[in-house]
Amino acid sequence: MKITALLVLKCMPEGADPIILANACDVSHFGFFQRSSVREFIVFVSRTVAKRTPPGQRQSVQHEEYKVHSYNRNGLCVIGFMDDHYPVRSAFSLLNQVIDEYQKNFRESWRTAQADSTEPWPYLDNALTKYQDPAEADKLLKIQRELDETKIILHQTIDSVLARGEKLDSLVEKSSDLSAASQMFYSQAKKTNQCCSIL
Amino acid sequence: MKAKAVQSSFRDRTQEFLSVSERLRKSITSGTSQNGPSSSSSRAEEKRSVVAHQSEFNRRASKIGFGIHQTSQKLSKLAKLAKRTSVFDDPTMEIQELTAVIKQDITALNFAVVDLQLFCNSKNEGGVSSDTSSHSTTVVDDLKNRLMSATKEFKDVLTMRTENLKVHENRRQLFSSTASKDSPNPFIRQRPLAAKSAAGASNNLPQWANGSASSSQLFPRKQVDAESQPFLQQQQQHQQQMVPLQDSYMQSRAEALQNVESTIHELGTIFNQLATLVSQQGEIAIRIDENMDDTLSNVEGAQGALLKYLNSISSNRWLMMKIFFVLIFFLMVFLFFVA
Repeated sequence: MKITALLVLKCMPEGADPIILANACDVSHFGFFQRSSVREFIVFVSRTVAKRTPPGQRQSVQHEEYKVHSYNRNGLCVIGFMDDHYPVRSAFSLLNQVIDEYQKNFRESWRTAQADSTEPWPYLDNALTKYQDPAEADKLLKIQRELDETKIILHQTIDSVLARGEKLDSLVEKSSDLSAASQMFYSQAKKTNQCCSIL
Repeated sequence: MKAKAVQSSFRDRTQEFLSVSERLRKSITSGTSQNGPSSSSSRAEEKRSVVAHQSEFNRRASKIGFGIHQTSQKLSKLAKLAKRTSVFDDPTMEIQELTAVIKQDITALNFAVVDLQLFCNSKNEGGVSSDTSSHSTTVVDDLKNRLMSATKEFKDVLTMRTENLKVHENRRQLFSSTASKDSPNPFIRQRPLAAKSAAGASNNLPQWANGSASSSQLFPRKQVDAESQPFLQQQQQHQQQMVPLQDSYMQSRAEALQNVESTIHELGTIFNQLATLVSQQGEIAIRIDENMDDTLSNVEGAQGALLKYLNSISSNRWLMMKIFFVLIFFLMVFLFFVA
């Protein structure tokens, strides 16, 4: 359930290597000495995948224990490195969001980029941390989860209502017994009053 | 019957027994009528036909009983299969075959028992001793009861099986919609980077699809089937891999939406049931209230009556006068006797 990196690349036409426009990596779970090599590895793999993603397509590639999801939209390609547990649909919805946000922020300025840009883009970093939980990214998943919780609560409610029904049944029995007993009591009292007044 | 002595308390019926056994033997082995010491030929004929009838009845009854026994054995096997059914290797085919076989058997046994009962009734119209008729009716009733219990067991097994299927469906739905709580499939790790289409296909199947047979594993769920079908073709046609991947994304979203909609629908029904239950219980509460009111009025009336009684007892002017009169009366009687 982990996102390791999110990148936005510009796909060059005709086979040249794509250019990185924004990069957010979370390599904290690697040892200190491996971090730079992991970053380079991420960069390399993302370039490769972006080069091989045709425009207007989504793609998911399995690499060792990561899944790399890429979405290419009109030359702007956004790539996410996630682990196997991350649901694919949430991954793609997250990529959609990122690419929309990027286009909103940068309009078309990325088209003129020629070299890897190294400025950090805060939105991407925020997104990386915020969307570690797939439910955040995917509203459908969130709704489904909440609905399931509601269903569980309702089941419990129905159980307690049934228990309440049982208690009410026992109460009704007891109250009817009580009413019968009180009736007998009344008739007995009346009898003792009536018949022995001679003596 | 010969009473040997006055003190003997038994009756020697040996002769009777011998004659009856001879009669039976002769009626079974030969076809000639036999004059027993106490039976006429017509009666022997009757007894023979009755015996033949009875043996026919017994044969059929035993066949039916045997059939019921076999069916109940098959039913126990089916129950075991239905109980052990797991999510992965569901022996659906066997269970369905077994169910069909058992259903056929039960219907055939039903017919046979009905036939047997008709047969028994028709035989009872001939002048037969009441013991035989009651025995045959008892046998037929016993067979019917056993058949009914077997049918009930069958129904229970089927309900258990449907419940299991429902549980598996829920579990699968849970997993396929979130696909986040499963352990990673070890087979997926060995895919090389170049196998993009295969990776893309397997990513969208439920995580615990066996990686080795990802394309051939067909689950009974229709939605997964609908998804795996395009995947099968996709794996064969490398060219068209992109379009089905888009489709699969859209399909998965559509599936998630459908799940949400069905969940909301279920929630609606649950709420309705809740409302029904609560309204029914409201009625019960009203009844309790009425009962308590009745009790209250009864107790109040009884209390009033007791109060009156207390008053009448505590102020016993009348009583004093009565006692006084009784005393005077006894005094008078006493005086009259003495004086």
